[in-house]
Amino acid sequence: MTSVSAGVRALGQRGLKATRYFGSAGVMACATVYALARPREWRREAFVQAKAIGIDSLPLVLFVGALSGSILAQQAGYQFTDLPMWIVGQAVIAGMLTELAPLLSAIIMAGRVGAGIGAELGTMKVTDQIDALRTLGRDPIVELVVPRVVAGAVVMLPIVIFANLIGVLSGWFTSIALLPMTTAEYVRGVQSYNYEPAVIFTLIKAVCFGITITFTGCFVGFSAEGGAAGVGRTARNTVVAIIVALMVLDVVLAPIYKAVS
Amino acid sequence: MIEIRGLRKTLNEKRVLDGVDLDIHEGTSLVIMGPSGTGKSVLLKHIVGLFDPDEGDICVEGMSVPKANGKQIREIRSKISYVFQNSALFDSMTAAQNIQLGLPAEHCRKVYALDDPLVLEAVSMVNMGPEVLPLLPSELSGGMQKRVAIARAIVGRQKYILFDVPTTGLAPVNANVINRLIAQVQRETGSTSIIVTHDVGSAFFLGDRIVLLSGGKVRASGTPGELRNSEDPVVQEFLHPKLEEETVGE
Repeated sequence: MTSVSAGVRALGQRGLKATRYFGSAGVMACATVYALARPREWRREAFVQAKAIGIDSLPLVLFVGALSGSILAQQAGYQFTDLPMWIVGQAVIAGMLTELAPLLSAIIMAGRVGAGIGAELGTMKVTDQIDALRTLGRDPIVELVVPRVVAGAVVMLPIVIFANLIGVLSGWFTSIALLPMTTAEYVRGVQSYNYEPAVIFTLIKAVCFGITITFTGCFVGFSAEGGAAGVGRTARNTVVAIIVALMVLDVVLAPIYKAVS
Repeated sequence: MIEIRGLRKTLNEKRVLDGVDLDIHEGTSLVIMGPSGTGKSVLLKHIVGLFDPDEGDICVEGMSVPKANGKQIREIRSKISYVFQNSALFDSMTAAQNIQLGLPAEHCRKVYALDDPLVLEAVSMVNMGPEVLPLLPSELSGGMQKRVAIARAIVGRQKYILFDVPTTGLAPVNANVINRLIAQVQRETGSTSIIVTHDVGSAFFLGDRIVLLSGGKVRASGTPGELRNSEDPVVQEFLHPKLEEETVGE
């Protein structure tokens, strides 16, 4: 009986802790939205962050986008043997636009940008720099969170567009190099795909994922505790939290495709 | 004036402050000392609204810090500057930009930090030349970082300056330099200083009044002379080893 009540108590405490955690994330999200109304205070830093987030991440995203397009083309070519070969073009553009380009770009950004934000803000937290901002009459949400979230939302758009383009191009190159098909067949497949809703869908995902990566990085960074080891834990927790959030968001966003098509 | 009444705070299930009452008068220098973990820094953070008390109240010039709304807390903080234990300088900013942060945001947007006359005045008040202004904190020694942090605290001419263990991590020679600097700053600006330290020598050098915290309560309070002559065994236990060391040092 005692072990049962201890278990229930432990479960209750975990529940309370989780509620407090998500509650503070909600409070921070509201404060971020509220602070958007003061662009004069964050726009300069948003440009700095956009450069750091976007330009520095682009080569890796393009590389992974190219690999994704190539893998899609090969798998479609090897598996859809009973279908006409132009279906490969359709499979590549559908796979890239709806799933691979936004999700893989976001996962790369989670490791590269999200962990960086978590570690940077975590270091600022444990070295009292965030408290120092408060005592200096500055709002850490305006100074640190909003510029990163805005930059993430804006910069993910071109990143995902470029990932899509390079994926489709690499799918074409793989198709004519490794599969028994021509450029005309590949182009026919691409053109036959109803890509307008998929383009809208991929852009919606890009913005949502950009916000998720940067906001989660900021939130986990702000929750950091305890010295260098704490910052290390924060960087790791940031990546885990972002990837889980991205996968959940991917499931939640899936019905939007049906709506836009 | 800052008034603290019945302040209680529990952190990680440990009662850190257990009914602290204090009055800090304008233009004076109050030193809060005590062994590690007795809530000295926690008390300081309550004054500037970084912590909310479980019970009790802190009033800065009649305004309650725990009950203040966003606008009021900004008004309270505009009167107080805070020197953090580890300086808390922003790594990505130059010394000039760090110092300029002590001025209103509107001013910072208009004036280039390196040419700001207020920044130049503050840096000279902490006995440094303008050559340090373009340097990043990582290019400064621990003592210089502390001076930049003090310059940031005085540039806005706030009425109250809170020093959280200002000599921590410094060699004794540098600690003495910082102590003299704090005394000089207080003389020149006429500010009210609250200094947290566990160094008895620093406490007696800087304080007009000294408060000894023990077990989350004010164990003793008075002028340096009164504390030196106190018959409270806890006070004597805290003071004597250091006093002996001082005698040896002299």
